[in-house]
Amino acid sequence: MQLKLIQSGGLAWAIIYAAFIIWIYATEPRTLREVATNSQVAAGTYQVDQEKFNNALGMFRREQFRAARDEWSRADPGTQDAVTQFYIAYSFYREGWGRVYDDDTLFKQGLEAVARAISLAPNQSLRVDDPDLQLHTAAELKAELEQGTEQSLGDLNPLKVFRKRK
Amino acid sequence: MTDYIARNRALMRFFVLPTIFLTVVLLGGVRVSSDTRDFVFLAPPLITLILAALLMVLFVRAGALDLRGWIRSDQPTLTNVSHSLLLVAVFFASAQAFNSVLPESGLFNWLFSFFFLWTLWNNQFAEFDARRLLRSLVVLFGTAFVLKHLLLAGFYGPSEGWLKKIAGVVLQGISLGTIDLPAYAPATGYISFFTLALYVAGLVLLTPAPDRHPPADGQKLIEAQPQKLSPDEQLEALRELVRAL
Repeated sequence: MQLKLIQSGGLAWAIIYAAFIIWIYATEPRTLREVATNSQVAAGTYQVDQEKFNNALGMFRREQFRAARDEWSRADPGTQDAVTQFYIAYSFYREGWGRVYDDDTLFKQGLEAVARAISLAPNQSLRVDDPDLQLHTAAELKAELEQGTEQSLGDLNPLKVFRKRK
Repeated sequence: MTDYIARNRALMRFFVLPTIFLTVVLLGGVRVSSDTRDFVFLAPPLITLILAALLMVLFVRAGALDLRGWIRSDQPTLTNVSHSLLLVAVFFASAQAFNSVLPESGLFNWLFSFFFLWTLWNNQFAEFDARRLLRSLVVLFGTAFVLKHLLLAGFYGPSEGWLKKIAGVVLQGISLGTIDLPAYAPATGYISFFTLALYVAGLVLLTPAPDRHPPADGQKLIEAQPQKLSPDEQLEALRELVRAL
């Protein structure tokens, strides 16, 4: 009986350990903190640090976009929250937007962030009802960012300087 | 006493050995970045799987592993499943042990892979027993470890070591661009050393088949002259004989 118990326990332990190894090589965490974050994600207990999120939102409203992004990345270290990723993308948009021309590098980073937000959102659809923003859905933000990176004859239009940042 | 022996052997077979080999699987691909000190997990490249397959064949040929002893039709399914998992763990641990001492890219990766392949292929046709094979493996992994984590790491590491200075003088004017290696933190060497030590320890503890163990006290008594045994020892010898039958 005892041998049977050792055998069953050993088998269960080996399977769990092997699954953990496969998971760790699949998720490739870079630090022990990331291991902990990934474990929370896998266990379904992952939550964004709300205090840091709100701090970042304050910075975003004060147009401190880089600082806001840093704080958001600390609030969502596992890049698992759709809303946080949406705001990160929005900060790239606002920082990269220019009256004469847009910063392609920042817009591309914004596109990556908004793609993450869309993939994380339920049904791939995300709406953020923030009165401070003019683009409320991830799809609108994505379209705006894509438009900013595309080259067209409209770029030569001098009236472009009168457009407004959203 | 027999209960203790059976329980300890079961613990070894179902807990300790899988844990050892799976830990080797986990740590064999771990590197630590020299710039950011981040972990880098490298899955075993295809060549290490080929090398591990060759090594498994070598284990079987040398009698270090008796597959028919581990997986038998007269055993319960659960036992066979446990044993199969252990053998799979040995295979992947072997692959990761190679991964641990194989340079990650460039010419040295090819050179090391070629020499491992050459050695294992030659060994397929050599006369081996389990003990010799283990010694040969210790030398093989030890040499590769020294070459990669001491010589090459010293040469390609971020710091200006003595080896780098000597090589700089000797190889002045020769381009080393094609044999460049990624630089990892010294912790990588420590992890690799621990991994290899654990792998060798696992192989030492692994018996050719689950029921084949070094002679127990009782068996030693049987081999001794019976007339010199005390009544207790004679009883133990008798028990051992009955068990053997």
